[in-house]
Amino acid sequence: MNGQTKAPSRLNNSELWGGLIGFGLGVFVIWSGLKLKLGSINDPGSGYVLFYTGVLMCVFAVTIIVAAITEGGPTFGSRWEGTRWTKPLLVIGCLTAFAVALDPLGFLLSSIPLLLLLLRVIDPVRWTLAIPIAVFAPLGVWWVLKRMLLIQLPSGIFEIG
Amino acid sequence: MDVLLNVAQGFGVALQPVNLLYCFIGVFIGTLVGVLPGIGPISAMSLLLPITLSGTPESGIIMMAGIYYGSMYGGSTTSILVNIPGEAASVVTCIDGHQMAKQGRAGPALGISALGSFIAGTFSLVALMLIAPSLASVAIAFGPAEYFSLMVLGLVVLTFLTQGSMAKALLMACIGIVLGLIGLDSITAQPRLTFGRLELIDGIGLVPVVMGLFGIAEVLINTEQVIKRDIINARITQLLPNKTDWKASAGPVARGTILGFFLGILPGGGAVVASFASYALEKRLSRTPERFGNGAIEGVAGPESANNAAAGGAFIPLMTLGIPPNVVMALLLGAFVIHGLQPGPLLITQNPGLFWGIVASMYIGNVMLLVLNLPLIGMWVQLLKLPYNILFPLIILFTIIGVYCSSNNVFDVYIMIAFGVIGYFMRKLGYEPAPLVLAFVLGPMLENNLRKSLILSQGDLLTFVQRPISAACLALAVVLLVGPLLPSLRRKRELVALDEGA
Repeated sequence: MNGQTKAPSRLNNSELWGGLIGFGLGVFVIWSGLKLKLGSINDPGSGYVLFYTGVLMCVFAVTIIVAAITEGGPTFGSRWEGTRWTKPLLVIGCLTAFAVALDPLGFLLSSIPLLLLLLRVIDPVRWTLAIPIAVFAPLGVWWVLKRMLLIQLPSGIFEIG
Repeated sequence: MDVLLNVAQGFGVALQPVNLLYCFIGVFIGTLVGVLPGIGPISAMSLLLPITLSGTPESGIIMMAGIYYGSMYGGSTTSILVNIPGEAASVVTCIDGHQMAKQGRAGPALGISALGSFIAGTFSLVALMLIAPSLASVAIAFGPAEYFSLMVLGLVVLTFLTQGSMAKALLMACIGIVLGLIGLDSITAQPRLTFGRLELIDGIGLVPVVMGLFGIAEVLINTEQVIKRDIINARITQLLPNKTDWKASAGPVARGTILGFFLGILPGGGAVVASFASYALEKRLSRTPERFGNGAIEGVAGPESANNAAAGGAFIPLMTLGIPPNVVMALLLGAFVIHGLQPGPLLITQNPGLFWGIVASMYIGNVMLLVLNLPLIGMWVQLLKLPYNILFPLIILFTIIGVYCSSNNVFDVYIMIAFGVIGYFMRKLGYEPAPLVLAFVLGPMLENNLRKSLILSQGDLLTFVQRPISAACLALAVVLLVGPLLPSLRRKRELVALDEGA
């Protein structure tokens, strides 16, 4: 670590937040373990391993927090510096929309728009290539799964596919 | 003599037309995912896990194994020609392999890589045939305490070898254990961490977790930047290395093979660490270490042999103890479980056809790979020209289908997306997913064996240190945990730290 480029006690660093999230999760796991009953060492209960794993999580998280406070670390912003951070957001948005639409619309009606969006939005592929890929890839997969492997894919309220 | 009879039985199984077909599909897909950057054997194996259900256990596992060792071959092609590792075990091949390609020696680099891999693969299979049955007979004496300690050691070794902070890797392993415990308690049948959701009663599936953490997260990371490829466009000629190349490569291939095989057996180790260790060893042994990084063929021959030998060695703990030493083997364990089989000491005696069939198929697969990777190299080079902006939507489509088919449940698609987002942030913040996935698989076994040991010993914790194998495993785990506090061991750890992310 270069002391000239990093303030040693900077608190707004991503390492610290990572450690705090880990600590929070550890506390939740300890609480869940206690709620499930620990049992005794002769006859450990359902919460026994959860409880002690939670304790270990808290220990490791505290180690991360202490290191973050004493040594400093990069800010959240710097982790995304020079990257096209909106692109992963777009992919996540498309995937979430797809997951929501999958049951009501069915596999074909939801995956064709998903592919078209991904092909056009991130690093645009020309329409003449994007449309055939977006249509024929899901259709091909659907045909192989449904007709050859007899695997049922959701057909949605319109019963397409 | 017994071994020869068993091998003959194995070839009888492996040479059945359907198994030959599955073996070919496996090694072909393995080479394909090895060649394509952005999708590795872990994603491909989890994607195809549900498909193994349609055939016999032999066919499914032969195909899954083929994907693993096939990707070791294919990964080197991308490393040498594009300077992007096709999968994690080929990272080190980029250093000298791409330099050789730039100097017009792509042919010998690809040739020695394929031939070295073949030699190493063959050696590791012969060693697997000889070692596995004897180890399995010893492993029958293992009790819950030994299994628990071995799993702890496996997790600690993996966290020790993972890049970056060890505390982060250990935290990830703990989270993996917790995720693995979601669902009904195997002893009391009490639901744990299900939040009242019926979908969680059986726990979270391995496929959505792996596809999210490795497949979707990898795509998200890749879309952040414009991927530039420095593809060697010159026609590849003279694939066979000349006499001088062979002379320089013979030692590295032999050393890489032996080193890789033993590193592959170690829990937590595997192909990635083997390739790095082999490169470091060759550089140290070389009279002209300054050639390394500038196109030394030893820097390709050693690591490529090591990663293939490790791929073979990694089957030993899975087949004899039932403990997966790395994430890929954890997926293979999933394939066994799907078919109602439990790998472990009894597998070889109860299911000799399956065990020896898999081993024999790996030999046949190695021969297939030699054909796929030498005469057909031009085909893979063409594939490398497929742009990522066309490739990644297709990866996402296949990922979604793989996850949906594994359970016929949209809930698993949500789980995959959630783990994709979690995996993306984990990578951005320097948290490796490999310890989480291995712990996720080992978690339920670890808990079961811990609770059984405590019940059997009536709560006496000394049972873990009174049994020699258990004590040795725990002692080694403690050394690795405490070790990074010592500056000399910390430096060594940083040297061999690996990225299992591909």
